Amino acid sequence: MNQIKLPNRWKLPDLGLGVGLRTQHFRHITEHWPAMDWFEILSENFIDTEGRPLWFLDQIAERYPIVMHGVCLSVGSTDPVDFKFLDKLAALAARVKAVWLGDHVCWTGVAGINGHDLYPLPYTEEGLRHMIARVRIIQDYLERPLVLENPSTYLTFASSSMPEEEFIARLAIEADCALLLDVNNVYVTCRNHDLDPVAYLDAMPYEHVVQVHLAGHTDNGTHCIDTHDGRVIDEVWQLYARVHARTGGRATLLEWDANVPKFPVLQQEVGKAARFRNDVQAARPVAA
Amino acid sequence: MSLARAPRLETIERWMQAVVMHPQGAAAGVRARPARRLLPQATRSLESVVLPSKALTSAERLDIYAHMYYARLLEILRDEYPTTRQILGTEAFERACRRFLERNPSRHKTLNRLSERFPAFLARHLPRGHRNGLAVDVARIERAMEDVFDAPHAEPMTAAQFAAIGADEWQRVRLPVIPALRLLKLKYPANDFMNAVRSKGKPRIPKPSATFAIVYRRGYQVYRRDQEEAAFKLLAALASGKTLAAAVRGSLAGRRGSADQLAATLGAWFREWSAAGLFSVPGRTFALSG
Repeated sequence: MNQIKLPNRWKLPDLGLGVGLRTQHFRHITEHWPAMDWFEILSENFIDTEGRPLWFLDQIAERYPIVMHGVCLSVGSTDPVDFKFLDKLAALAARVKAVWLGDHVCWTGVAGINGHDLYPLPYTEEGLRHMIARVRIIQDYLERPLVLENPSTYLTFASSSMPEEEFIARLAIEADCALLLDVNNVYVTCRNHDLDPVAYLDAMPYEHVVQVHLAGHTDNGTHCIDTHDGRVIDEVWQLYARVHARTGGRATLLEWDANVPKFPVLQQEVGKAARFRNDVQAARPVAA
Repeated sequence: MSLARAPRLETIERWMQAVVMHPQGAAAGVRARPARRLLPQATRSLESVVLPSKALTSAERLDIYAHMYYARLLEILRDEYPTTRQILGTEAFERACRRFLERNPSRHKTLNRLSERFPAFLARHLPRGHRNGLAVDVARIERAMEDVFDAPHAEPMTAAQFAAIGADEWQRVRLPVIPALRLLKLKYPANDFMNAVRSKGKPRIPKPSATFAIVYRRGYQVYRRDQEEAAFKLLAALASGKTLAAAVRGSLAGRRGSADQLAATLGAWFREWSAAGLFSVPGRTFALSG
């Protein structure tokens, strides 16, 4: 494998190892200030509220780098872009000094309705043009790159004319946006669509990848669901190792959203990534 | 399917949304009128719109999204309305939730506002009876707790600031209440019932009896408590923007007792509200001394 460090296009930092900030851990974090390189927040949980979560977030943002990751930007929707929502995102980003912010390659609703889920697009030229145009508008408005994640998908539209990885790679290059490569989602999607996850990863434009997600999922036999409710399986770690070897280091984050364990369990699980990172660091040539 | 015949992106999105949000699941959603009008070919051949996988049919793949839609939103409603659910029973509660979600899909980016209309929905659609009447009142309190949890922060007036209001200022002073305060006039002793649930588990359904509850956030903690009717009226009058003098006159009209007794009662109410931080600093409403 290639061990040369490949910088991302924007020279955004490798933040190291982080976990998703969840309410269950607010008290532990603010009482113990545990070792953690950075936290990712779910943007919508801190918008339109001035309650306790924001109070905790303000304290945490003073001590750790924060990345904002959303689920409702609905970039792929055919509804108009919600500029008021972008204003709220920008305000939150300024408040927590977000290192970057992003969402998913998906749509979450149409006709003014929000399904609160990550719905897949048909991977067509029309869909791609639509996404590219929307990403450009959003990036221009926010004046920063948008970091978009490959979603777990459970169906394929018959009208799709290209594989998901090609759609995402072309989107990143043509819209000039950043990517959050969720290797668990790659595994889940490939299982659900009988695809090769290695081929998927090999199609990614790594100079656009600024972040990696890790998570557990539920394997129902006939299909996998991206449940974020357990440890990362070995196959996903292997995919992570492959990504790391291609990039030489990207901010890596563990998501754990259901059956959430105590914070030390998260530290231990995301800490496993250090082994893959160290392996690559050790093998990296001394002189660039 | 050839590209020339491929449905437009907007059509696909509207169709899929109609399908996965159908309360009877994806197969019923495909056959239902909203989806059928958008993509009639899907009713003849669903595979022409959504491909099957090796293990799942097209309908089963859509059903993953349909199942997750209701599962996710029902979980939110269960978390927000635990005592309402206990009163109605799981089956009746979830039936009501599904009907509510079917008629009131989320139109907000955050889930905090998903159930804003749920108590009113229950009031309109539950059959009459003490159990359901209590459930509506409890749902109103539980929703108010959600509202004040997220409400904007306002600096509460301190006891010293409050004490500095001279008697001569009552005619013009208005005391703005904090945004994180809700006043609920109820038909049942719903707050007592919720307290009993917390301590005993399964109290009996009470008979109707008008109660007056306030729900508020102090610091970042949410509280709820009952008020006597006159105190509630006074607080409601202040919240509506009446001057202190007008609010006091209206709420104490007809109340028996000497001037000293009334003054003592008022003093006790205001001390309680002041300690609870229910009034915000009025800013330019009047000049604070000291």
